[in-house]
Amino acid sequence: MENKLVPIITVPEVATVLEIREEIADVRTFYFAFDRQEIEQAFKIRSGQFIMCTVFGAGEFAVSLPFSPENDRKHISVRKVGKVTAALHELQPGDKIGIRGPFGNGFPFEEIKGKNVIYVAGGIGLIPLRSSIVHVLQHRQEFGRLILVYGARTSRDLMYKDSIREWQATRDFETYFTIDRPEPGWDGRVGFVNQLVAGLNLPSENTVAFVCGPPVMFNAVIKELKLKGIKEQEIYSTLERHMKCGIGKCQHCAIGRTLVCVDGPVYTYRQIKTLGEQI
Amino acid sequence: MYWLPGDQVKLLARRLAESYSVYGPRRDEISGEVVFDRLEVPERLDLQAAIPYNPPKHVLFPHYEEILRYLYERDSQKVAIEKIDKVEPKALVGLRACDLNGILCLDRFFLWQEFVDEVYLEHRQKLFLISNTCVRPFPQCFCVCTDSGPAAREGFDLDLTFAGQGYLVQVGSRKGQKLVEELGLQPAGPEAASLREKIVDESVSSFDSFALENKAWVSRATNRLTTGFIKPEVWEYIGNQCFECGACSFVCPTCSCFNVEEVNRVDGQTDRVRTWDSCSFEGYTKMAGDHNPRKPVEDRRNKRFFCKLSYSQSKKYLRPGCVGCGRCARVCPGDIGLPNVVTYIRREITGE
Repeated sequence: MENKLVPIITVPEVATVLEIREEIADVRTFYFAFDRQEIEQAFKIRSGQFIMCTVFGAGEFAVSLPFSPENDRKHISVRKVGKVTAALHELQPGDKIGIRGPFGNGFPFEEIKGKNVIYVAGGIGLIPLRSSIVHVLQHRQEFGRLILVYGARTSRDLMYKDSIREWQATRDFETYFTIDRPEPGWDGRVGFVNQLVAGLNLPSENTVAFVCGPPVMFNAVIKELKLKGIKEQEIYSTLERHMKCGIGKCQHCAIGRTLVCVDGPVYTYRQIKTLGEQI
Repeated sequence: MYWLPGDQVKLLARRLAESYSVYGPRRDEISGEVVFDRLEVPERLDLQAAIPYNPPKHVLFPHYEEILRYLYERDSQKVAIEKIDKVEPKALVGLRACDLNGILCLDRFFLWQEFVDEVYLEHRQKLFLISNTCVRPFPQCFCVCTDSGPAAREGFDLDLTFAGQGYLVQVGSRKGQKLVEELGLQPAGPEAASLREKIVDESVSSFDSFALENKAWVSRATNRLTTGFIKPEVWEYIGNQCFECGACSFVCPTCSCFNVEEVNRVDGQTDRVRTWDSCSFEGYTKMAGDHNPRKPVEDRRNKRFFCKLSYSQSKKYLRPGCVGCGRCARVCPGDIGLPNVVTYIRREITGE
């Protein structure tokens, strides 16, 4: 049966902030639930999709969804970076937010069953990847090797430490971490993510890679993955753009012939190369 | 086809004013410019006036439009969100073919894609459209290059063509038929269709003598834009000419980029408003944290012409995004209206 309630297109649905968690400096996770029970139930997502989140009185911003499509608490993780996200950070549990969406295409899931999956994240680039990681782990036996390569500026900038511990406790999840500069008490790798990728023994046949992070890191990592023999059409990333509507009308997120909000935000590297704009 | 005697145009306007707010071309008393706007006095409708300075898009896509209003009371944690539906039925009379085609472009963009824009739909459902054939082109026109004039082919409720003492009236919808009957218009006779055809043909052949300001051989430029083989120097040259004023977007019948802002009112409520925006503005793609993927001005200009002319866009909207009205060329202080850009692209191809 066609779902008429979702996506929420024009009028935001009211949701309540249930809990706020301090992740790293300036990044907080906001757990929420919709006030209307029917929306709470109808709100189904795909990994890699995003929502438009309204902070009442301040504005609306596009934000990727870090929770799994199955059995996971609804939440968003947001860095305080502009006017609206700063207003969001002022909120307390019990406060209301507005939500439209979910929008966008999302990461492949069914199509990559049986394959090895490499996740490469830099800094808060782990946020959009979290949804796919949790989802894939919920179906662990249907995938090949699962590898997370994660780098941040310092050990205090690593996101989702609790989740990562949980993932490491599950069977067959390889994790590699790096930070930019040496730190007392850090016994992991030091250096950039791309250097870490270069030194790893990664599969290339029957393998897909999901890459997300700042533009500089992204380009350097792609180069290494290609050297490892991973095909351009097997490398996925999710793009960020200034967005106002989420439904392909305001045109702010246009890159060449595509609109990130409806054709993206997930693209293969092969597609990204032909878009003709910086990441 | 029906016949509307010239002296009955005012009657038509008055009749429409009974059920619609009437919009049409009128001469502005102060500036002398022809503007397409609300006619408080329907009799001021001037069907003989030149192509209006502005396209009619503001009627169905206002410069500034409140789309939501909400009140969030944090103490009681109550949120009241109200969708603003205050759209009134409007009649657009005397639309030039380019402008009618502009509306059809907006329709395909706002209504025919994956999502329907509910705000636009609200306006669109309540329109009555009357087009007016350009029996002679204006100096700025190049609609024959973009296949969007000088006469309308579809999308109107009624279509008027001036023929001596009055207008040939073509009916395009049931609504149009009803109005014709209410006005008691007489059939225009068996030769009306061929007469209209003759008038349109004459108009087309007079472009070479009257429409001298702009020419745009769009198809060659489309080819180049689509395949992407345009030297960066061409875009740099065009970018250097751009003042980033956004005027081209604002007078374009098909440009429809918008921004969304929250406006906090003194009574504690907040309006969510939609305002016109332009891809030529630097802040257009700037994200929070100051990352701007489309930084140099030529990047942004490149985007506008790609949007208007590339094949993939044309395929999506069933025609090029340019309707040949020539307004961008008229308002651009940097002389990079669309016809000139097409010329620069062509020059690069042919080495002229």
